[in-house]
Amino acid sequence: MLRMASLSEAILEKSLQAIWNSDVASAREVQADDLEIDRIDVEIDEGVLRLLATHAPVADDLREVIAAKMIAVDLERVGDLARNVAKSAVRLSERSGGTPPLLRTLADESQRILRHSLDAFAERDPARAAEVLGEDDQVDEDQDRVILDAINEIRAHPEFASQELDYILIAKNLERVADHATNIAEAVILATQARIVKHADKLAG
Amino acid sequence: MQYLTKITARDLNVHYGEKQALFNVNLDIRKNQVTSLIGPSGCGKSTFLRCINRMNDVIPTCRVDGKITLDGVDVYGDDIDVVQLRARIGMVFQKPNPFPKSIYDNVAYGARIHGLAKDPTELDEIVMTSLERAGLLAEVEDRLADPGTGLSGGQQQRLCIARAIAVSPEVILMDEPCSALDPIATAKIEELMGELVENYAIVIVTHSMQQAARVSARTAFFHMGYVVEEGDTARIFTDPTDERTRDYITGRFG
Repeated sequence: MLRMASLSEAILEKSLQAIWNSDVASAREVQADDLEIDRIDVEIDEGVLRLLATHAPVADDLREVIAAKMIAVDLERVGDLARNVAKSAVRLSERSGGTPPLLRTLADESQRILRHSLDAFAERDPARAAEVLGEDDQVDEDQDRVILDAINEIRAHPEFASQELDYILIAKNLERVADHATNIAEAVILATQARIVKHADKLAG
Repeated sequence: MQYLTKITARDLNVHYGEKQALFNVNLDIRKNQVTSLIGPSGCGKSTFLRCINRMNDVIPTCRVDGKITLDGVDVYGDDIDVVQLRARIGMVFQKPNPFPKSIYDNVAYGARIHGLAKDPTELDEIVMTSLERAGLLAEVEDRLADPGTGLSGGQQQRLCIARAIAVSPEVILMDEPCSALDPIATAKIEELMGELVENYAIVIVTHSMQQAARVSARTAFFHMGYVVEEGDTARIFTDPTDERTRDYITGRFG
């Protein structure tokens, strides 16, 4: 589980570096790294099935197994999203001009939230997990601004449309990473405090 | 749905001679619900079960203090007829214990001694209905005169359940009713409990955590003579409050 977590963080970092440094070689490595994450994902499914079948866990044991399965789904998705970002990196390696500064801010934010949620998981710390829950609001805002800026750029300079479109895709992928980080934090709260907090604000309304 | 409280235990203390088996037990048993009593051997759960229908009366060294009520009436009150009480609170034991009589007579026995049937036709009806409700009728209807002891273990246990419900009890106490049965017979008894609970209050003592989790709405965890924790079964098995409960149900004990 922890290996899958650190691989997911690393693969996201690698895909982003590939963007910043126009590094096509790193971008191609991401594909192979994601395969390793998928392999661990299958192992975790097998482990969860075996545990449920043979030990019929209850109480905190049960919540831990369920949370592990939930988190594995999110980490596997983070791997896929990093692969998408790496695909953009390959296309963008031919671009002219630097990446938008706001995209870097968005990337930093998403990575930070993912790191916080994985720290909360590693330490089974519900307080840290709770802090993560509100943190993706800024990511949503930044994503919207990157998209808006890109649309304006496309209007002003249609010849750069394809690279601007990749910025939109990257922003979308990073926003999804932050969503998965939030899910992970929610799973940590389920495991440690037996509370189901997902959709809490929507369902309360 | 609101559940009526059928049985209450208040400040129940039970001694066998010098040894105290139950300490200040307070517990409610509700109608139309299965309540599971779980806990390690010697924790007092069977003692508690046997206090409810005064099965402990026959143990001379046993002393019961505190109060158990059935529909608000003290079951240890002076004017309580124990035979009547046990007709209202039926019991099924760990090992199936059919009488050395025919299948028919096993079920008819209680109805006869309590005079529940005014003629043989009515007695037939009670026997058939009880076997039907115990899920046994289809398997035995062509051999009702055969000895009950000739049935398989699972069938014998359902025969004992039929015998218990033939006297129209209000509460059924089950002391590890499936521990001598195979998984198929166990599944039948559990399914039967789900049907019987529509009419009765059921209390089951079980060592199978999964059985308690499957069949009961409420669970009480006994430990060293105390009720450590009692509550909604789903909550007990997902988020127990007391560490001793958690350690027991997850198998970390000892």
